[in-house]
Amino acid sequence: MNKGPLLFLGIFLTLAFSWTGIVLTNHLTLGQIGTYVDAESGTAFPRAVPGLARQGKIVYQQLGCIYCHSQQVRRPGFGTDDLRGWGERQSVPRDYVQQERLLLGTMRTGPDLMNVGSRAMNADWHFKHLLDPQITSLGSIMPPFGFLFETRKIAGQPSPQAIQGLPLRYAAAPGYEVVPTHRAEALVAYLLSLKHEFDYPESIPVNTAGGKK
Amino acid sequence: MSSAESSFLASIKPSTPAGAAEPALLSEIDASTRAPVFFFLCCGLFWLLLGTAFALVASIKLHNPGFLGQAEWLTFGNIRTAHLTSVIYGWATNAAFAVAFWIMARLCRTKLRHVGVLGIAAFFWNLGVAIGIGGILRGDSTSIEWLEIPAYASPLLFCAYALVGVWAVVAFRFRAPGHVYVSQWYILAALFWFPWLYSIAQIMLIFAPARGAVQPLVNWWFAHNVLGLWFTPIGVASIYYFMPKVLGKPIHSYYLSALGFWSLALFYNWAGVHHLIGGPEPAWVISAGVVASLLMVIPVVTTGINHHLTMIGSFSRLKDSPTLRFMVFGGMSYTLVSLIGSAMAVRSFNEITHFTHFTVAHAHHGLYAFFTMVMFGAIYYMMPRLTGREWPSATLISVHFWACAVGITIYVVGLSLGGLIQGWEMIATTTDPQTHEVALRFPLFIDIVRDMIPYMVSRSVAGILITIGHLAFAAHFAWMLLQPRVAAGAQPARLSPDSAAPRTPAYE
Amino acid sequence: MGYGAYIFVVVMAAAVMASAVYALYWAVKTGQFQQFEKGATAIFNDEEPLGQPTDHFPQKPKKP
Repeated sequence: MNKGPLLFLGIFLTLAFSWTGIVLTNHLTLGQIGTYVDAESGTAFPRAVPGLARQGKIVYQQLGCIYCHSQQVRRPGFGTDDLRGWGERQSVPRDYVQQERLLLGTMRTGPDLMNVGSRAMNADWHFKHLLDPQITSLGSIMPPFGFLFETRKIAGQPSPQAIQGLPLRYAAAPGYEVVPTHRAEALVAYLLSLKHEFDYPESIPVNTAGGKK
Repeated sequence: MSSAESSFLASIKPSTPAGAAEPALLSEIDASTRAPVFFFLCCGLFWLLLGTAFALVASIKLHNPGFLGQAEWLTFGNIRTAHLTSVIYGWATNAAFAVAFWIMARLCRTKLRHVGVLGIAAFFWNLGVAIGIGGILRGDSTSIEWLEIPAYASPLLFCAYALVGVWAVVAFRFRAPGHVYVSQWYILAALFWFPWLYSIAQIMLIFAPARGAVQPLVNWWFAHNVLGLWFTPIGVASIYYFMPKVLGKPIHSYYLSALGFWSLALFYNWAGVHHLIGGPEPAWVISAGVVASLLMVIPVVTTGINHHLTMIGSFSRLKDSPTLRFMVFGGMSYTLVSLIGSAMAVRSFNEITHFTHFTVAHAHHGLYAFFTMVMFGAIYYMMPRLTGREWPSATLISVHFWACAVGITIYVVGLSLGGLIQGWEMIATTTDPQTHEVALRFPLFIDIVRDMIPYMVSRSVAGILITIGHLAFAAHFAWMLLQPRVAAGAQPARLSPDSAAPRTPAYE
Repeated sequence: MGYGAYIFVVVMAAAVMASAVYALYWAVKTGQFQQFEKGATAIFNDEEPLGQPTDHFPQKPKKP
């Protein structure tokens, strides 16, 4: 093989093959999926993310949460995502159409967060967990995010945002209080906004005949 | 001045007739590549050391989460990403550029022209990487896997890479007459494929994001192909060049090398979507990715047979050739890691290994045990010829090899085992004999996390070993540069082991 | 959306396959595979000839 141009033609065509197949074709088909308007309530799903949560997503990206937490639920029967309470149905492409950046993730050093907003943990739990995961989940290897909180001197009335009921090790000195920064509040708002409970026609679990609708 | 300028213009003008280049001596060719190749290597080495430091911190954080936990820029998500960017775009890419150009110039049989262009490209590439890593540490990461470099640095990287690619084409076009060897195919293809992948991924993920579930497809089409269509071709091209060179005998079967090249080109670029098995993507794309991943067995076995059969009967040479040692370790790792990779794309196995440390072990198996080891081998061969100096210490070479080889073996074995256990614990269920109710065997996620700690520690131990190897290498590299040059007319001892004198003075 | 894109991709796939088959046919017909194995020795020349090993640990000259 001493013919340069021919070599290039082959090199070009091979990558063009998957570029058309994986990228272009899906951009033209999958990329056209839009929101689904529920006939009963007239609401379009998935719903847009509220403003504070949108800021929280930026914090989520800045801190690299994606490297330990996925945001995708596998279908019942493939893995045990449903049994773990990560979601009753598998994630479908339509779940993501409102997101400008997808944070699917490929690693579950920690649990999946696709529907973390639907679980029992409230904002207070999340704040403590972020301050130091050992408070709520002893033995966790999640890093502490103490820099998302500040210890402030109580001036007059204690702040309503101050975290209550911290273990002694983490509690502020008398006269001081631990308060989440705006970024921490945004991040928790984002986590609490993560719920995909609406059933689209295409999201009925594939291995349960007829689905639950 | 004007004549140099016009010949530069002639070099980049497509209408200039090609193929008229003068053949040159290997020593002259090596000398012509010296400046850019040496610059690429020094930058690569810097990023390797920095990336190793990041890696060690990140690894310790996974069993001691409080370690350096106060500063935001040192948080796991940042430091792990800085590690990846620094070893992929810093170390591995710089090393690949250096090795690719050195091999390319030799195989084109003529001096590399206007190396200043490569110098400019090298400068801007490394500037882009530095800005990118700084950006990641200050929290500007895009959180797109393998594309974390913030948008303000990526155009710089693209332009620098494109310049490198164009210069490879120019070097190839003005080659002296003769056969186009298989290593050249791989290098040309890799340098052409990467800018395509990179620009499409940048545009469709960052500058004009595609909607919804298209993004992960683009992301993994890109990310897997960085390994498959950029690093793998350069690594395989290096083995195809250096292994026969060291042994002084041609590759086992040249037919197989052609088959291996075209099957890799055809199948590898479809394989990336196996990272999305079980994800919210159309079944047909995933299935196509699984099929392509399994078809990858063809190029891998082909290339493997070719490399290993070339080695048959020459294993004693492993004792006295540093390059061969690293190359053979890399070549064997390539065969193994690729077969494991194909297995990981099978849905039933993927159900276990997906989302676990097994994938992390696999990535390091490919990029370190295969690619990085091959690059080390190539550098051991190139440096005496580039600098006219001998490597000063056989001991340091041995320390480097054994620390890295043992380190990466512990890493891959430990983390693969950990990943399998993690994956099994994640999906293991029990069925109640009476009610037939299915329940999790490990319902508490934290139990699985705790069970992983010993494997995380094994990774840090491996990391310390690898760090020792890298420090030995870097010290040796610096020591070599402090050595006096071998006198004119002579060659470093390892270049001409027999008394048979070289025909020409190799180094001025 | 629709079937148009799928038809497109099938046609593209067929075209790629056809060109691969044609490339092989062309290569055989024009003698690209004649003396193919000789290409493997292209990396050797008078300076670094076939049959001469080239890389050794420093200070440990190889006995022939």
